[in-house]
Amino acid sequence: MSGTVTVVGYVVIAVCAVAVEVAGRRGRGARLSQVLSRGLARPPVRLAVLAAWLWLGWHVFVRVDWR
Amino acid sequence: MAQPRPTRGRGPGGVPRPRQPRPRGRGPGGVPRPRPARAPRRLRDRAVVAAASALVVAAAWWAVGLRPFSGAATAAVLAAGVAAMAWGARSLRPRPPPVDLRAAAGWLVVAAATAAWELVAFVQHPREDHPTLSSMTNALLDSRPARAAAFVAWLAAAAALARR
Repeated sequence: MSGTVTVVGYVVIAVCAVAVEVAGRRGRGARLSQVLSRGLARPPVRLAVLAAWLWLGWHVFVRVDWR
Repeated sequence: MAQPRPTRGRGPGGVPRPRQPRPRGRGPGGVPRPRPARAPRRLRDRAVVAAASALVVAAAWWAVGLRPFSGAATAAVLAAGVAAMAWGARSLRPRPPPVDLRAAAGWLVVAAATAAWELVAFVQHPREDHPTLSSMTNALLDSRPARAAAFVAWLAAAAALARR
C-alpha cells in the first residue's frame, strides 16, 4: 500500500463524512452536531470526549519535534 | 372655601380615573423619551472581545513556540484547553431533542472507518508510505503561524464541545 493509496483512503472517508452531514441537513439521518450533543449529554461520555480532546491537543502541539 | 385638589389618578370626588395606555417609549403627552445611549456599551463590549482575541492569539503564539516534549509546553497546552472548556461550559446550550441511533448510524460508520484506516496505516512502515493523520497534521503544521492558527482553532473547538 503506497502513500497515495493511504491518502486516497482518508479523502474517501472525508467525502463520506461530508455526504453524511449533507444528508443529515436534509432530514435523512443525523447531523454531527446532533450526535455530539446526544453523546455529550451523558456525563461519562462528556468526560471521555473532553479528555480525548485535551489529549489530542497535547499530541499535536506538544508531542511533536518541530525543529 | 377652597375646593380640595383632586389627588393624583383620581377625578373630582375621588373617583379613580381610568388609566390611559401610554405608548411604549413615550412619556406624558406622547413625547418620545430619549433612548438610553447604548453606543458606549457596545463599543466597550467590542473592545473587550478584541482584547480577549488578541490575548488568545498571543497565548497561542507563545504556547506553540515552547520546546516540544517539555513540561512547560504540556502545562501551557493543557491549561489553555481546560480554560477554554471552562469558558465554554459557562453558557450551556439547551439540550436538543434526542437523536435516533439509526439516524446516527452514518456517523458511527464514518468513525469506525477512520479508526480502522488510521490503525492500518499506523502498524505499517515506513511512515512516508503509510501516513497517519498525525504525521499528515505534523507536515501541515510545520510553520509556527500555521501551528498558532491550529491552536486557536483547537481552543475554539474545546469551548464549543464544552458548551454542548
